[in-house]
Amino acid sequence: MRTLAVILIASTAVIAQQPAPKPAPAPARDISGVWMMRNPPGSNRAWTNFTFTDPKLEPPALTAWGEAKFKEARDSNGGNYRLDETNDPVLTRCYPPGVPRVYFHPYPFEVLHTPKVTFLMYEYDHMLRRIYTDGRTLGADLDPLWMGHSVGRWEGNDFIVESTGFNDRTWLDRLGHAHSDQLKVTERFRRIDRDHLHLDITMEDPLALAKPWKTTFFYELRPGWELGEISCSGDYLEWNKVEARK
Amino acid sequence: MRTKWCVAGLVMGVMVWMPLGAHHGGAAYDQTKSMTFQGTVTEMQFANPHVLVYWDVKSGEAAGQKWSGWMTAPNKLARAGWTRKTLNPGDTITVSGTPHKDGTHVLQIRKLVGPDGADLPLTEN
Repeated sequence: MRTLAVILIASTAVIAQQPAPKPAPAPARDISGVWMMRNPPGSNRAWTNFTFTDPKLEPPALTAWGEAKFKEARDSNGGNYRLDETNDPVLTRCYPPGVPRVYFHPYPFEVLHTPKVTFLMYEYDHMLRRIYTDGRTLGADLDPLWMGHSVGRWEGNDFIVESTGFNDRTWLDRLGHAHSDQLKVTERFRRIDRDHLHLDITMEDPLALAKPWKTTFFYELRPGWELGEISCSGDYLEWNKVEARK
Repeated sequence: MRTKWCVAGLVMGVMVWMPLGAHHGGAAYDQTKSMTFQGTVTEMQFANPHVLVYWDVKSGEAAGQKWSGWMTAPNKLARAGWTRKTLNPGDTITVSGTPHKDGTHVLQIRKLVGPDGADLPLTEN
């Protein structure tokens, strides 16, 4: 067995020196499958775990309201925190993460197209978004939801999702940047080849953001993966009790 | 089984993945220290949010002590090839990790050598 491992290591080293095979082309108007976040090739954008743009190079343009709210936030210190040191609404209360914060949880999501609705299913806490593609428009007076109301459309092979009708109880990211109930999120899913998906996110919020905040996240298709079960209130809050006792 | 873990380890080594932040706090653990034990598994809880392993220490100064440790989420370990029967009571393991600051016998597990002597993968990627 040890010999086999050595052979595998040697063969992998050879493979690594050859140019990567050209990925298969993206199918037309189809982003279905299980996707897992990863860094762009050659990059190690560790801050993408917690916020959208490099805080030093591209900080978000906040309004005075947004700045004040941000000062109230006590983030989870890059994951190195105690429960009594943060007021992150997901970690301390198991609130649904909202959009686009849901993309910061290190679990995959799955896309399922049906004729009139595309479903975005996030492994983290069973979050489900219904993206209506039946031609409806987002009304002006929507009941506020944790994950908002969404409609989708195709532009060429890009799937565009527009969402409004959020409540103001979630954070935009894991650093604690706030949003109001006037938040609008636009997601552009660009499947650049069969195995790779780029997600352009634009956040607009006249109360919290002085100008739109934009980023791109990167995903890879994971054909062998199946989403499992994660229940924040059932699993995480119980763990929090254990942690709090220590 | 061993070949499978070897392959998984190679795949992990080849790919450059972003460091995914832990959902839960590591602040209670002394990140400057590492401890290693050889132990006998008494229980594994393959449950959210973190898989837990309990063992009795077999040798060294801590021989006879009861310790536990936590890893990532079961969904992630399942995608790396684990099942809830990957570790069973009576299995001998060698486990390394970051100890709790207050001296509690709990590790944030960083490395785990399974009963057949091969490293078990601790992430899905």
